[in-house]
Parts: sequence; structure tokens; C-alpha cells
Amino acid sequence: MDAIIEKKSFDAIIDSLSPIRDFLSEKGNSFGFDKKKIYKLCLAVDEVATNIIRHGYEENGKTGGLVDVITSFYDNKLTVILEDDAIAYNPLEHALPSEEDLKKPLEDRPIGGLGVMIAKQSVDEFKYEYNGRNRNIFVINF
Amino acid sequence: MSFKIKSEVADSVAKITLEGSLDSASAPLFQEEIQKVAGQSPKDMVLFVSELEFMASAGLRMIVFAKQKLGPNVQIFLVKPQDLIIETLQMTGFIHSVHIVDKYPA
Repeated sequence: MDAIIEKKSFDAIIDSLSPIRDFLSEKGNSFGFDKKKIYKLCLAVDEVATNIIRHGYEENGKTGGLVDVITSFYDNKLTVILEDDAIAYNPLEHALPSEEDLKKPLEDRPIGGLGVMIAKQSVDEFKYEYNGRNRNIFVINF
Repeated sequence: MSFKIKSEVADSVAKITLEGSLDSASAPLFQEEIQKVAGQSPKDMVLFVSELEFMASAGLRMIVFAKQKLGPNVQIFLVKPQDLIIETLQMTGFIHSVHIVDKYPA
């Protein structure tokens, strides 16, 4: 069976987060994934898309950019690729909170890296590639 | 899912009800409500979240903001969070810093 591939482009603005999650929920549902898998996929993608929009585009003064969302279903795996033309940035190189950090009282906790940590832990695979565009790749298995 | 929020302070308890999706787009609205209730120096902050269907790290950041704004002695209660939100609180260790309850007052 061939992979079922779809692509949708979203404006690189914070108000696109909700439509991106809706798009992924619809895809996840159509392939029969359960609510929990779909939620966690949406969460992972939301965290990374937020960083792309806020840090990749907005903070670098790039307006009018796009985040392309490509979904591919093959061999009981749903792969989601976020592609963008913001500055090259590998989220996996971002420092994550340490075990110690996670135990600190809230008011003393460093807040950076929380989103990437959530993203990594919420999907079965999370990868980053650069081919002239940033490609953040998320995989969930049945 | 759109986001809805309302707040009140009564008897030194800040009560905030959140519905829908709490992401980076809606987090500023939560921040506004926290600032609003902080003006009345509550001793507890209670978040009614049974209808909150999605929460990203932007929501966690607002919980940290609330703790910083209201002071470390203010206790934060989450009333009836959905399972997948509890999972995020566990994954990030936030579960140890808030009280998960079925109703408030107990």
C-alpha cells in the first residue's frame, strides 16, 4: 500500500496553532488513532510550531512566513513533518530542564526547554533535519 | 476549541474557570486574569478546569507566573483536570507543586 500523503500550509502566526491541531486531529481520527495518541501528537506539534512561529519567525522579524504541515500514513505509522523557512534551528540541541529543575518549587524553575521536553516525550519519534528548510518530524505508531 | 475564561475573588480565594484550549494564543488571556485577581491578594488560587480540553506548556508558564505574582505561599488548586492534562503535569513535575482535587472547597 502506498503512503497517504497530504500537505497543508498555515500562516506562521500564533492563531494558526488551533487550526494546525484541528488538521492533525482530523488526520489522526481518519486513520483510527485513539484520543490519547492524537492529543499527544497535537501537543508535541503545538509546542514545536509555537517555537517556530515565535522564535524562528517573529523574533527574527520575518513576517508573511508559512508553516507547512505534511502528514503521511504508511505501515501503521503517522508521520507529521513541519517545514518552515525561518532561521535554521534544531530544537533537539536546546537544553532541557534537568531532573533537579523539575523538582524545584515552581517560582524557582527555569522555564526554557519545557515545550521541547514535552514534544519529545509525547510522540514515538521526534527528529530534526535541515535541507534548506527546517524539517521537524514527528511519528506516532499504532 | 476556542478558549473561555472567567474569574472572581471571594473570601480571599481567587477562582478562575478555564474552558477549551490553553495554548500560546490564549495564554495571554489567562495571564490577564491572574493579574486581575492578584490585585486582591488572594490566599488560594483555584482553577476550575474540567472543561479545559488542551493545555500546552504556555499554560504551565502561566501557573509559574501565578506563583511568582501571588507569592510562594499561595496554594494552587486544579479542580477536575482531564487525564491528558494530568499526564502533562506529571511529565513536567508540576504535579508536585499544585493540588489536584475533585471539588473546592473539599
